[in-house]
Amino acid sequence: MENNGISRRSLLAGLGAGGALLLAACSSAVDEAGSGASAGPTPKAGGTLKVAIPDDLIPKNLFTNSNTAITALIGLVYESLTRYPNDSIEPKPRLAKSWTASADGLSLTLQLRDDVVFHSGRAFTSKDVEFSIKAYADASWHAQGQLQSTAKAVTSVDTTDPHQAVLHFAHPLGNIFDLLDTVFIIDSETVEDIKTGKGFVGTGPFTFKSWTPNSSLVFEKNPKYWQPGRPYLDGVRIGIVPDTNAIAAQLKSGQVDFAEGVSPRDIEELSKDAKKFNKTTLAGAEQQIYVGTNVTAPALGDVRLRQAIAYAIDRDRIISEVFRGNGYATNLPWPKYSVAYDAEKNKRYAYNQAKAKELVAQIGTLPTIPYTYNTALPVYAATAQIVQANLAAVGIKVELEPVDAATFVKQLIGAEFKGIWTTFHSWAQYTPSTLVVSAYPFNALHNASHFTSDDYTSASQAAWKQPDGRSDAAIAEYAKVSDELLEALFLVEIGVIPFQWVSSTRLSGLSYTKRWELDVTNAYLA
Amino acid sequence: MLRYLVRRVPSAVLVLFLASVLIFAIIRLIPGDPATSLAGSDASPEAVAAIRHDLGLDQSVPSQYLSWIGNVLTLDFGQSYSVGGEITSLVADGFGNTVILTLSALLLAILIAAVVGPIWATTRNHWLESAITVVNTISVALPTFVSGVLLVLLLTVIFPVLPSAGIPPDGMFARLDITAQYLVLPALCLALPVSAVLSRFLAETLRTELRQPYVLTATALGVPRRRLLLRYAMRNALPTTVTVIGLQAGSLLGGAVLVEAIFAWPGIGQLIEQAIGRRDYPVVQVLLLLSVFIFVVIQLLTDVVHALLDPRVRIGGAQ
Amino acid sequence: MTDTVQTPTRPAADAPTAPEQQLPTATPAAATPAAAGPASVTPAEDVAAVATAPRRRRVLLHGRGLFGLLLVGGILLLGLFAPLLTPYGPTEQIPGANLLPASGRHLFGTDEVNRDVLTRALYGIRVDVLVVFVAVPLGALLGTAAGTLAALIRPADVAVQRIFDVILAFPPIILAIGVTAILGAGITPIFVVVVAVEIPYFGRLLRSSILTLRELPFVEAAEAIGASRWWILRRHILPNSAEPLFVQLALSMSIAVFLESAMSFLGIGVRPPEPSLGTIIADAVSDLDTAPMQAVGPLLLVTGFVLGFQLIAQAVGARRRI
Repeated sequence: MENNGISRRSLLAGLGAGGALLLAACSSAVDEAGSGASAGPTPKAGGTLKVAIPDDLIPKNLFTNSNTAITALIGLVYESLTRYPNDSIEPKPRLAKSWTASADGLSLTLQLRDDVVFHSGRAFTSKDVEFSIKAYADASWHAQGQLQSTAKAVTSVDTTDPHQAVLHFAHPLGNIFDLLDTVFIIDSETVEDIKTGKGFVGTGPFTFKSWTPNSSLVFEKNPKYWQPGRPYLDGVRIGIVPDTNAIAAQLKSGQVDFAEGVSPRDIEELSKDAKKFNKTTLAGAEQQIYVGTNVTAPALGDVRLRQAIAYAIDRDRIISEVFRGNGYATNLPWPKYSVAYDAEKNKRYAYNQAKAKELVAQIGTLPTIPYTYNTALPVYAATAQIVQANLAAVGIKVELEPVDAATFVKQLIGAEFKGIWTTFHSWAQYTPSTLVVSAYPFNALHNASHFTSDDYTSASQAAWKQPDGRSDAAIAEYAKVSDELLEALFLVEIGVIPFQWVSSTRLSGLSYTKRWELDVTNAYLA
Repeated sequence: MLRYLVRRVPSAVLVLFLASVLIFAIIRLIPGDPATSLAGSDASPEAVAAIRHDLGLDQSVPSQYLSWIGNVLTLDFGQSYSVGGEITSLVADGFGNTVILTLSALLLAILIAAVVGPIWATTRNHWLESAITVVNTISVALPTFVSGVLLVLLLTVIFPVLPSAGIPPDGMFARLDITAQYLVLPALCLALPVSAVLSRFLAETLRTELRQPYVLTATALGVPRRRLLLRYAMRNALPTTVTVIGLQAGSLLGGAVLVEAIFAWPGIGQLIEQAIGRRDYPVVQVLLLLSVFIFVVIQLLTDVVHALLDPRVRIGGAQ
Repeated sequence: MTDTVQTPTRPAADAPTAPEQQLPTATPAAATPAAAGPASVTPAEDVAAVATAPRRRRVLLHGRGLFGLLLVGGILLLGLFAPLLTPYGPTEQIPGANLLPASGRHLFGTDEVNRDVLTRALYGIRVDVLVVFVAVPLGALLGTAAGTLAALIRPADVAVQRIFDVILAFPPIILAIGVTAILGAGITPIFVVVVAVEIPYFGRLLRSSILTLRELPFVEAAEAIGASRWWILRRHILPNSAEPLFVQLALSMSIAVFLESAMSFLGIGVRPPEPSLGTIIADAVSDLDTAPMQAVGPLLLVTGFVLGFQLIAQAVGARRRI
């Protein structure tokens, strides 16, 4: 695009007579931000990071991590007690310095940092730990965090020492550090402001400055941040740009240095220009794309049909064509680094049209099955169309039913799908038991598939109630869960897809959490 | 004049009332409900019920309508379900952007028509006339999204001189020269069909005007052709042209929705889609009612201006 | 008398308010400067039109009328003979042919799920044909009936007029977004929107035709000698309205093509995997720099279709004023 032979200036001079274009000669919005030089080796303080994201903030959904505005805000303003490195579930200190678990697994004592203050100036204490966990479990929020069941199993928090919090549990919680990694510490005095979007007070590297609905979010450096010399940036300015093409255009023209919500194809295209753009693949922060089945729908009650579907899907094609090679095919939800990952089990339903046809032949005549997907993301439509063609090839006819996001969520919650559906799920990047007690499609007690099985329920509860989520005993329980999932096959996994971000090469030190929250504590602009 | 206006107002109010009922009913036919869409995918039925009560969705539909329309009449548009803030500021932002876009487009269209119309009416050059006719016909027929895509292809991909989408990152009024560059493509795309309609209309009106006996007389008396055209023919062509401008202005609002989608212009179209997506009833209601209101007002104004400029309508109306 | 005074300006003035390509000059009861004046001009033309009805066919055999006819006919044939023109199926996913650029094998390239875009564009014409030749006539029929009702039965008049006003007050695209939100994407909401948008145009057209024609001496004479209302309607009014109706029909067809492709472009039209010109264009927008033919091909088809109907309307409409 840059090398079209005609310099822009001469072109502009040539077109100069043409009324409106005359304006372009003053200062071109396309050139405005200039081209990016490569980043220097030493961090440089100062500058405002300009960001484009597709979603607007929905304050009452803050605990759900459900969109890019929320995850960016949490990452900038708030902090959790502990934090997982991106590629494992071994907790590391954050607002908690150290911790000891009781032998029976029924309590956990956290030593808190004593040098942390909220943006309002108030010191952070154990009372805030209690308040934040309670708020996370509180039903008065319009949308609750997905780890609610775990948060509710925290029966009390002993706050007698302001710098020590003792958590007491109803039963051993193998996934307690998932909760501590997820729950961010909020300020009890200003909690009402969160609901109206007026203010967000946390302890993080940036303070919330303003939110203009549908337009922008502005953050400034927190001068009293507990990590010395951080953050480098003076501020972050996030533009809300609902159109993904427009986001890509803003990146290309250098108006922003970082963007989320860019389509896989645009990411592929942009990252070809390695001098100008960096691609960040968020390994450790994955989602899974899957085909869910309503086991009470006509014909889908027959596990052979579900197996036929699992054999018929060309997972590698979907990964390579729809997700442009970002991710890998799976039969089970677990990513490769997960303690529950098992390469053998993952081959159970490898692409095999002959087997699928055989199963279909055994079943006999099939009705046309409705296939619902969410129109919010183009990748769903593409995936659904490939799956549709795959299924047609083995004799299973499906009819696509595109619905908008609100309808889709309602059908997911209400378990109202008439046949099969496709969307992403997450939480498999955490302790495996979190998935089966929290993630909606997998919840043993109530899920969108109408699937119930005593074996699956007991396996998932046993896995959850392990005192140590990484112990051999726990891993043995996860294997049982995996076997149940493969046998019952109410969800047909397609693949594990990590998030991807694009940034200009001016930006260095970009990082993220396992819930794809934006972390620019160590980031700087060249 | 006043009497003419007064006679037209009741039917406009009736249309607004019918539209408000229709809007209110239509929105409640959309599947999915705001409470579940706010509650997210892990909500308990109790939480959903609490939200429904919060939002007043557990009352009967007629009583919901009455309380809504009562508030609207006192200019209280209520709270957005999803954003949590006053609707007024939310709507004002989106609508402001749409107004900037449509007004620029209208202005551009009038400018183009004011130049092309008279040339087309008076030129004796056969080639020029044919060229204008062809361009004009195509401009009228070119759907906005087609011209939009072509403009993007031409001026942002082949010759990357203009930004392809969005609004200035630093706000509309920070740097006017930058704003203008963002505005050129969407405004041009929106203006194109309107300008074509206007130029053709103006040209035909002028041609008819120039065939009138008074023109012949004036020409015989030696009045310069330019003066005749600008001073007399244009003035006589004005009333009907204003009517057409008004009606085109009404249609611009609908066209704007498409243009906004192509150029990622955060205006009313985007707002409506987003609000429908979140089942944010109050926002959708206000936006739809506002667009109907604007349409009705433009129609009313057009009729009034037309009556002002053309006594025949006024007098006829008074009979 | 108020009604008839309004007729010269109202229908003409309202017609162009739908999608912007409605052309006042080609609109029935046209907004030519003359028509903006005394009401008697229009009916006089209509009477003349009846006398020279065969000439209508002739205007479509030369100049822009012919060109329009050829455009529409040509595109229709492309859609009709799509299976003969391309070796692929419209939803066939060709193994390995992912996002190929335009080439001899795939003139418009292939899309993200490996389908031949030219094939999809040709089959996409069929949706428009369906909308143009089923939905538009349906809307015209309903609108004509409503307009006749309004003109003949006083009490119904006010109600029908206000209903027209309300429908017209919603910009068609916004109406489309609302209707699709209720019905879900697919061909049904397109039909509903096209029919709803067309009703007021035909309704107003017929209503004003009847009101003006009723005042004319030969109709008054027929009434005086005891002819029944329906006889007069059939014998005098409908034949005299035929030509403006034809012009409006052609215009409405061009609007219908526009509406269908615009809805599909916005993602609220035809359901995947069925092809539609609007959907193809929408998908191609993000790849304009790498695969421009994917957008340009379908763009030409849509434009040709819309333009063709417009030219037909213009040719017939222009002849009426000579």
